Amino acid sequence: MTSTEPGPTAAVEARQLVKRYGVVSAVDGVSFQVARGEIFGFLGANGAGKTTTLRMLCGLVAPTSGTALIDGIDIVDQPLLAKARLGYLDEEPFVHPHLTGREFLNFVADLYRMPRGAERERRMDRLLGLFELANRDDDLIGTYSHGMKQKIGLASLLIREPPVLLLDEPTNGLDPRSGRLVKDLLEELASRGTTVLLSTHILEVAQALCRRVAIIDRGHITATGTMKELRVQAGNEQASLEELFLKLTAGPESKELIERLLA
Amino acid sequence: MSGQGATRTILGAELLALRHRLLKRGAVRLVLLAIFIVGAAVFIGGGAFAIGATAGHFLPAVIDSVLAAGFSGLSILMLVVGFPTVIATFFVGRDLLLLTLAPVRTIEIFAARLTLAMGANLLISSILLAVVLGIGAGAGAPLTYFLLAVPLIFIQVLVITSMQTVLMSVVLKWVPARMARDVAAAVAGLTGAGLYLAWNLSLRRSFSGPSRPDLGNLTTVVQRIDWLPPAWPGHALSAIIAGRFFEAATWVLVTLILGVLLVAAAEVLYERTLQSGLGVFGSAPAIWKRRARREVRPAAGPLSSSHGGEDGHAAPAWPGGVARDRVGSPAFAIARKDWLAFRRDIRRLGRLLPALLFPIGYVFAVSRPSPGPNGFWTEVLLVGFMSMFMSTTLATPSIPSERRGFQLLRMAPLTMWQVLRAKVLLTLPPVLGLTILFSVVVAMVSGNGADRVVELGALVTWLGFGFVSISVSAGGIDPRFDALDDRRSVGLVGTLAGIAGSLGFGLLSLGAFALFVFGAETLAGSAHLGPLPSTPEIGAVMLATAIVLAAGSIAIVGLLLWLANSSLRSHETAIANT
Repeated sequence: MTSTEPGPTAAVEARQLVKRYGVVSAVDGVSFQVARGEIFGFLGANGAGKTTTLRMLCGLVAPTSGTALIDGIDIVDQPLLAKARLGYLDEEPFVHPHLTGREFLNFVADLYRMPRGAERERRMDRLLGLFELANRDDDLIGTYSHGMKQKIGLASLLIREPPVLLLDEPTNGLDPRSGRLVKDLLEELASRGTTVLLSTHILEVAQALCRRVAIIDRGHITATGTMKELRVQAGNEQASLEELFLKLTAGPESKELIERLLA
Repeated sequence: MSGQGATRTILGAELLALRHRLLKRGAVRLVLLAIFIVGAAVFIGGGAFAIGATAGHFLPAVIDSVLAAGFSGLSILMLVVGFPTVIATFFVGRDLLLLTLAPVRTIEIFAARLTLAMGANLLISSILLAVVLGIGAGAGAPLTYFLLAVPLIFIQVLVITSMQTVLMSVVLKWVPARMARDVAAAVAGLTGAGLYLAWNLSLRRSFSGPSRPDLGNLTTVVQRIDWLPPAWPGHALSAIIAGRFFEAATWVLVTLILGVLLVAAAEVLYERTLQSGLGVFGSAPAIWKRRARREVRPAAGPLSSSHGGEDGHAAPAWPGGVARDRVGSPAFAIARKDWLAFRRDIRRLGRLLPALLFPIGYVFAVSRPSPGPNGFWTEVLLVGFMSMFMSTTLATPSIPSERRGFQLLRMAPLTMWQVLRAKVLLTLPPVLGLTILFSVVVAMVSGNGADRVVELGALVTWLGFGFVSISVSAGGIDPRFDALDDRRSVGLVGTLAGIAGSLGFGLLSLGAFALFVFGAETLAGSAHLGPLPSTPEIGAVMLATAIVLAAGSIAIVGLLLWLANSSLRSHETAIANT
């Protein structure tokens, strides 16, 4: 395993994070760092521990042991300070079905004590326009499609422009056009200094956006680094991220499985 | 898949799901549930049987009216209360999508759904069964009566459920299924509350003076409607008691024919409904709010501003207008969100309104406003009860009703104290408003004077703060964020904590209040304390004790708030489940 780069105070840092539910270890000793302005990919199969790790990093779930730091601030010791700096988007973001899109954005902005007034309205209009929700902003979220809910969830993060974004499958349920928009948006935000920790199992998204990735398998980090470093670890200089992922997570050879199934 | 096989498979899956839901509760809860069910069955069933036996024995002349009224009453009750179940079973739910896509005939789906929908109605009808069996026992009916009673009640349930299906198959052509279900639930709740109020009114009349049972009205009303189908099984049973077996057979036959016709009609209409995709596919959420669309400003340009300083450690910056604009308030945001969600959620409104009618019913039934000390203390107890009941109804689900939205609150830079405070402050105005209004009205009606009104007002304000805080805390101590129904959104620990806290706080507060009132009167030399001397020393002791009791009641509130805060800070069960 390679632990690389980020400076003395990383924007996001997991130090030996462990989460146990009874005798089951959902996450077992996960460590990595994400530098400021970096888009960092967090890859893993279903049930590998991605979401639990993200939830520990954002303070939704208390770690059994280990430390989660946001901008050097311990999320357990100083939760309010740390939470003010981050935005977390769940795999299925919760959006209040009985509020309109605009009311929901206002609700989240108020929760984070964002000043009311023209600037907030301007941001809201921009985001609603960007996500093509401007014509549905006064409709109740309960009437939105899955993709629209995902987009209003993203907008609720971006309206307050937190310096750190923890995104769990942000392109989940989005049409190709909106998916592309999210990718462009993340690149733009990173170029302005926003740190993005992107959890996904869509390897194309990770390959396109992330300079470094960590691969988690059954609660353990199996590899961290740039594509080049991962290829060195895997001993295959030409391997794609998909091949690396399957190799590093010891995933089954699908072709072989299909042949066995159809035999 | 054969018809019988498909129906059995569908019902089997439902039974399995029920089994898993039951087993998930744990052994202790299952035992408690079993004890409750057995207790309720003995108490309610035994009571109903005794009433029936008494009527059958002592009122032979009106047995036909009583039976006809029983069957008609049951039908009306099932018709009103059972609609939400029928809609939910037949027309709502994504599992219907699975079933309609599968190679299963609609009649098989219908048979399975009809069996499921009848479950709730059969439960209701078990009360009637107890009454009917009681009447038979009291009147010395032949064995045929008892053998026929069970299938006739079953057919009645079948007829009513089929009729509901027929009606909904027609209505759902115009109304989305979920909305119809929620509106039906609201109507059912209000009807239940209405019946409850009527019951309280009759109790009030019963206790208001010497009265004798008078069945004249009942027989008159029943005679007017006894030709209606719901009364037919009643006529059949009364004919058996009277020994008119041909007449009984005729009533049974027409009841059966009606049942067959309605079931067939329900099946045909249900098939058409499923084929047209109504209900199953048009499952719009139950949302009824709309207002005029605001003008949308053109959206353009990239996102603004960067954040933080060079070291990235600065708090999030809100550029532009910070000096001019008011900073958003989390507490206000939560309150506004709750208010908007509440008034737009038909289901929650439907559950709240009947619950709010209950204390009014109680108060109306028991209240005897009269001047003087006795009347005043009755009012004290009544407003105390009303305050506790309303606080429990409104405040207890306030935190669990966040459901997955609790994640947003946990994620925000808010302490759980702030969340608790916001919830308390949101619930206080309606509780205080209604209880103070009620206190003023009662005190004025009883003519107890302005000073008593002020005392009562102070008491309900105190009680309101305490009960609301305790109820909010109970929801925070043991929230069930995954509960779909607010009434089941607090676990056993939270419920017990809420009950114990409310009782403790209520008793200490009322004790303190009484000691304050009597202590002040003793100091003023106007008290009559019976065996105790009305000296200033006694008055001072009473006031000191009142302060201790008041402090104790505050300690209870503080303890529960602290427990709720601790629980919410560490709560992650619901988050892990989602």
